[in-house]
Amino acid sequence: MTAFEKGVTICPADKPANVEGFGPSRHWSAGLQLGFTKKAEKTVLSEMSFQGPLRVQRPFYPEAGVCHLYVLHPPGGLVSGDEVRISMRAGAASAALVTTPSAGKIYHSDSYDVSQVQATDIVVENADFEWLPQETIVFNGANGTLDTRVYLQGESRFIGWDIFCLGRTAGDQPFNKGRLTQKLSLFQNGKPLLSERQHIELSLIKDQANHENCLTAAWGFSGATVSGTLFATGFTGQVQPVIDALRTELNEQRKASVAAAHRCLFSVTYKLGVLLVRYLGHDSEEAKQLFVRAWQIIRPTLLQRPATTPRIWLT
Amino acid sequence: MSTQLLSALYLASPALPIGGFAYSQGLESAIELGWVKDEPTLQGWLQGVLHEGLGQLDLPILWRCLAAVENNDRAAQHYWNDLTFANRETHELVFEEEQLGAALRKLLLSLNKIDAASLPEQPSYLLMFAVASGVMHLSAENALAAFCWSWLENQVTVACKTIPLGQTAAQRVLLHLMPEIELVTAKAKMTKDDDIGATLPGLIMASALHETQYSRLFRS
Repeated sequence: MTAFEKGVTICPADKPANVEGFGPSRHWSAGLQLGFTKKAEKTVLSEMSFQGPLRVQRPFYPEAGVCHLYVLHPPGGLVSGDEVRISMRAGAASAALVTTPSAGKIYHSDSYDVSQVQATDIVVENADFEWLPQETIVFNGANGTLDTRVYLQGESRFIGWDIFCLGRTAGDQPFNKGRLTQKLSLFQNGKPLLSERQHIELSLIKDQANHENCLTAAWGFSGATVSGTLFATGFTGQVQPVIDALRTELNEQRKASVAAAHRCLFSVTYKLGVLLVRYLGHDSEEAKQLFVRAWQIIRPTLLQRPATTPRIWLT
Repeated sequence: MSTQLLSALYLASPALPIGGFAYSQGLESAIELGWVKDEPTLQGWLQGVLHEGLGQLDLPILWRCLAAVENNDRAAQHYWNDLTFANRETHELVFEEEQLGAALRKLLLSLNKIDAASLPEQPSYLLMFAVASGVMHLSAENALAAFCWSWLENQVTVACKTIPLGQTAAQRVLLHLMPEIELVTAKAKMTKDDDIGATLPGLIMASALHETQYSRLFRS
């Protein structure tokens, strides 16, 4: 890895504490810290350090000024005791779009059942930030936590999403045991605007014979295996036209998905200044396509930029 | 003790003039979508929402609000108030929290039971329920039970009007879920801060879709 931007600091990978075999104390942390700064006409990656196998590709500029960046996690998945923590900070007036080229994976945990954590912390200081990662596939028997925290300061604008998929595919390796917690938090100048926690724990349901399982119940997943949440905030103009356009688009998608003969749900709502688009269905590709369409509708109003689709999404 | 009992009955009563009967918390939408259509599906919906929703979110926060009121800890009151709104996932769930909170605040103010200055500008229903419980000297356990009963009775009333569900079936659902309330409140008291929060995917879809439902009786 070379320093691809002047002033970038790179720390070598630390030797992991205990990555041998498995056991209750197995813990391997991977970290990535990124800083974005506005310099003259463009936003540069001014800080980059990592521990463990997380890397970034060279930033590129498909549109004026906005720094596009791909985050890579070469091992591709988390086993027991793994913790992946990505911290990003966007400095004043900067504009960055960060995505990942491949899906994250949380594998079956070992017999010690040590948790597997994927955490993302984003601090945006009077800047624009887009965090648009691929989905995370949660394998049967996993014990995973997906924790995304966004801290906005000043007049920041943000759009992001988080998608998880339970089991490999509906038919192949379904998710019927294990744990997953997905947390999404968004703060604006210290005040919480969004705090969501989806929790799936299948062992717990077993001892309550009368209970429907959270994956089967109507209030829960109702058989769906893919859940996605898109959230955007920082609107300064009218939001209602965006909401209307999203609803029209969702209706089109709904018709298409009904034609595909499997039920899935989309919705849009706006609360405490946060626009939320949700997907609950069976197909992570469908979820991503929907979110890319939603992003294309939201972006021009929120960021006053046309939606240039990152190349990686076209492959 | 009859004072405790009467205070709990007072706070849980559908006659409390705060307009709780106007909200369905996504249930009207779940009925429209055909997810809740009879006694067994209603019971399943309410049992799940009681355990996984109220039990993981409303009750642990109410428990903390009760302590914050008891200790006159304004910082904690504001903190849990903000977090309550952040945890309401849709426009209508936020609206309901605001409206019921404002109505209960207004009621207590007009009865000269509270001092507005110490409260957040926009208090949540959960915080105001804790404040009202404090005014009535209700024990925390009884406050949690009264909150659940008020919710349950209201939800069953929604189902009666909307499915529609017969009175006898409605009473069976109420009586079936009554003992569950004790289990849920006991568990809720043990919930750690980090485990608070319950985003139930089906429920929030129903709530968001209610915003554009063609014909509706309820405000959420």
